[in-house]
Amino acid sequence: MAFLLTCPNCGERDVHEFRFGGELNKRPAPDAAPETWATYFYTRRNVAGEQKEWWYHSFGCRKWLIALRNTVTNQVIKTSWPEEALP
Amino acid sequence: MVNTNTQSRLPLRPTHLIDQDKQVSFYFNGQQVSAYAGDTIGSALYASGVRIFSRSFKYHRSRGLLCGAGRCPNCLMTVDGAPNVRSCTTRVEAGMKVTGQNAWPSLEHDALSVLDKMTPLMPVGFYYKTFHKPKLFWEVASPIIKRVAGIGAVDLENYPKEHSHHENLHTDVAVIGGGPAGMSAALAAAEAGARVTIIDDQLNLGGHLRFDGRTHRGMHGMADMAGYEVAAALRGRVESVRNIQVLSDAIVFGLYEGNFVAINQRGKVMHMRAKRVVVATGAQESPLTFDRNDISGVMLSTAAQRLMHLYGVRPGASAIIGTASDHGYHVARELLDAGVRIAAVADARPSFPSGLDAAQALQSAGVLVLPSHAVARAEGSRRVVGGVVARIEGGAVTREERQLDCDLILMSGGFQPVTSLLQQAGANLKYDAAAGATVPADLPQGVYAAGKVTGTRDAHVSIMQGRLSGLEAVGGLAGKAASAQEIAAIRDAVSHLQNGTREKITTVEPPIAPGNGSKQFVCFCEDITAKDVAQGVDEGFEDVQILKRYSTVTMGPCQGKMCHRQYVTIVSNRTGASIDSLGSTTARPPFLPVTLGDLAGPAHMPRKRTAIHRVHEAMGAKIVDVSPWLRPHNYGDPKAETMAVRKAVGIIDVSTLGKLDVAGKDAAKLLDKVYTHRFSDLRPGRIRYGIITGDNGAIMDDGTVTRLSEDRYFVTTSTANIDVVEEWFKWWMAGTGMCCHVTNITSGYAAINVAGPKARDVLKKLTSVDLSSKAAPYMSATEAVVAGVQTRLLRIGFVGETGWELHFPAEYGEYMWTTLMDAGKEFGISPFGLEAQRVLRLEKKHIIPGQDTDILSNPLSANAEWAVKFDKPDFIGRGGLLASQKWGMKTKLVGFVMVDPIVPHDGSPIVLAGTPVGRVTSARMSPTIGKGFGLAWVPTRLATDGTVIQISVDGRLFTAEVQNAPVYDPEGVRLRE
Repeated sequence: MAFLLTCPNCGERDVHEFRFGGELNKRPAPDAAPETWATYFYTRRNVAGEQKEWWYHSFGCRKWLIALRNTVTNQVIKTSWPEEALP
Repeated sequence: MVNTNTQSRLPLRPTHLIDQDKQVSFYFNGQQVSAYAGDTIGSALYASGVRIFSRSFKYHRSRGLLCGAGRCPNCLMTVDGAPNVRSCTTRVEAGMKVTGQNAWPSLEHDALSVLDKMTPLMPVGFYYKTFHKPKLFWEVASPIIKRVAGIGAVDLENYPKEHSHHENLHTDVAVIGGGPAGMSAALAAAEAGARVTIIDDQLNLGGHLRFDGRTHRGMHGMADMAGYEVAAALRGRVESVRNIQVLSDAIVFGLYEGNFVAINQRGKVMHMRAKRVVVATGAQESPLTFDRNDISGVMLSTAAQRLMHLYGVRPGASAIIGTASDHGYHVARELLDAGVRIAAVADARPSFPSGLDAAQALQSAGVLVLPSHAVARAEGSRRVVGGVVARIEGGAVTREERQLDCDLILMSGGFQPVTSLLQQAGANLKYDAAAGATVPADLPQGVYAAGKVTGTRDAHVSIMQGRLSGLEAVGGLAGKAASAQEIAAIRDAVSHLQNGTREKITTVEPPIAPGNGSKQFVCFCEDITAKDVAQGVDEGFEDVQILKRYSTVTMGPCQGKMCHRQYVTIVSNRTGASIDSLGSTTARPPFLPVTLGDLAGPAHMPRKRTAIHRVHEAMGAKIVDVSPWLRPHNYGDPKAETMAVRKAVGIIDVSTLGKLDVAGKDAAKLLDKVYTHRFSDLRPGRIRYGIITGDNGAIMDDGTVTRLSEDRYFVTTSTANIDVVEEWFKWWMAGTGMCCHVTNITSGYAAINVAGPKARDVLKKLTSVDLSSKAAPYMSATEAVVAGVQTRLLRIGFVGETGWELHFPAEYGEYMWTTLMDAGKEFGISPFGLEAQRVLRLEKKHIIPGQDTDILSNPLSANAEWAVKFDKPDFIGRGGLLASQKWGMKTKLVGFVMVDPIVPHDGSPIVLAGTPVGRVTSARMSPTIGKGFGLAWVPTRLATDGTVIQISVDGRLFTAEVQNAPVYDPEGVRLRE
């Protein structure tokens, strides 16, 4: 893994400056069934293709950002602040 | 002393890398050898008469120089304790100690060469077929095979102990390969204003042109000159350009995504990020396939050229040259000029190339030139003493043979593009039948190819392609661009030239000598013969990828550079499938072997120290590594430190605790959301313990939360989890629009915990603020000036005594510590370290997340139900904890006291009827009750007071009793005094 990720604050950086925070998933309602919560917590869609995901710039500005990345080619299509990317 | 044999050295030439006026000496197998400055170990040894450089991997056959370019396994030797050094491209340094490998007692006479007589017992994939029955066979054979396998060995006393360096580099255009194409690309890109780095694996730039004596007519405004003069001219221009950085003797061992170029240069690894990459790695000469084509004295024709033209070494006395193109003739003429007798030139092509100057020259000199002939076998047991050439008819080598005496057989089997790095970058390959080579196609964005790697064999074309790549690479880089017209013009010129030259260069597929191929080596690294490959196909492995894994062909140090073409050709011949349809094996890093030491680099392990660290050292503390911190474990007597806290007063440096400033009108809302406890109703000046859980209710961390004002909180976390907690807080706010700022202030504040019955007495000497239990009750915070320093005093009690955690600016660390020690002297103050702290807190049953909990423990099972406020509308983990409550918990964390007089280890298993059912998380000797005690996870049904449990310690069972009350001050009276 050696691709570059553009932090909206700091600019283009080596991916190793960041910590991967998982797929962007919709959080179930507090009163949803335990099975729904278990799926949310333990399973992943793991798409082969474009994926919206969380990254934390741990060795930089220490802010969270969202990336749209193709998991097959590792091409990062775009990065943005969470406010812009979350539904 | 073995002298560089002056009789084997040639007169001085402009292509030489050696300086015949400067001598250097080194040791080979204990004997001193004299060399010239600029010699490589390989060239110096060859000049001094050494012919056996190594013993092959499996059969221990005697091997001499083969490629002379650092691309094959034959010259690997141990140099100054470092094994597997490519001696033919390693410069001699004074006093170097070089020894042969993989041979005993000597390279000349290796006892294990007996394996060469046992080859019928070791067919392809034999290790999959033998050592099964009886099973004992493998148990006996395995240690022997382990000892015999491998080539070099690490000398555990004398290996090089200096750590390798790592560097990070940036460049606009990385040019991999410093031959004519690479240099031209670099010059074009640099002219356009780009920063360029050339990485070349040889000892000087120029590639094959360095030893090319053919005249090249009028290249690009230059007069007619010899190839090596073109190389020198380009080199001179490159050296004069400021924005071209040259890394020589440097191997690109990996080309990764994002144009990340991994470079290894003698004890250094460089991580280079390039905006564009031009791959100009050229072409590799292939060996020929004939009987005994691997013994010492058989080498590539370019290896002989390197010896002659770079190092002034005559390669032998008398030679046979096997060739499939004009190239062999050029080399033959150069050998003649160097005083080598030519026994014969065997040309696989049907007719004599009468238009070729070199051919004419050979003929005039009376050299025997044999069209339609190929080398059938080499003669000699350890070194070439003769060769047999045979006539080719109908594309196959016949038995019409002729024997010739010689001590050198040169192989010119054609040139294969070195496409590995392009494949690593994601390019595809396609077989270009006209060029007789597999060439790159579909290059990824930002990666370009130029020169022989694209399949061309013409230096003109290489230079033009280089220029074109350099200009194309620069396109799109800010502020630097070549005009589209210029690029189009060069592209036209290149294809025009290519079409012109293609007709001129004639080459044929070199034929494979007849016979079963049992001594025809395909893979020199792994000792795989043509027979092995054919047999693998016959056994059903018809796919080149799978047969590679079955036979190990191409898997050695050369990574297919010597063998890939012949390998695929044999599979093609055997299966009838075309070379194109068979494809190639996958090229993976490293391109050439890199040592683990170089990959590991400086072994730099950063460790954090608190602001008070030097004082701890001065006080004689035993410092332990609790990554990433260094902390005092004890100050000489942990038992005494423990007693001092209980009876008098002690201080401990807790600066490592995570500290967060959480501020904003939504700060309370955030904390209520991420903690199981409630903090919105915490009064300013009060402190509450909090646990953070994940969505599944499992404990992530614990700590204290102090409310400073309506909108401001001061949060402490455990030392190990500050980064996780900071990330977690920020993540829950991300995109929500919450007005709250979380700032990590861990290193800004130092912290000292002053604890014990006399703690208040000590502090009263240093501050005027009222610290009575009325004014400053347990779990309250006070801001005050202590010893002149603005300090936040948190009255909390991890160790179970009256005490305060002092937080103050870190720059006062040493001052506060020494001031407290002085003020406390009359009260018997003692410093205490981690060990004492562990015992003290354990006596109070205060858990440490990560020590007493694991990633599935939740507050309900870990004795902290009181910290969970289910009446909050929502918090992270509520659902998980409710589910856990509903379904019940399998294990619970309990306190225990030993019945037997022993202290278990942290981690000792709890055993029930012979089965481990739980574990001790922390255990110590209690100074209060004089018995072993601790915390343990046990099955829920055993979690009641008085239950007898069995603990396994070092294999024996001991008895303990569950006791849920803390062994010290269970009511917490001391804390509140």
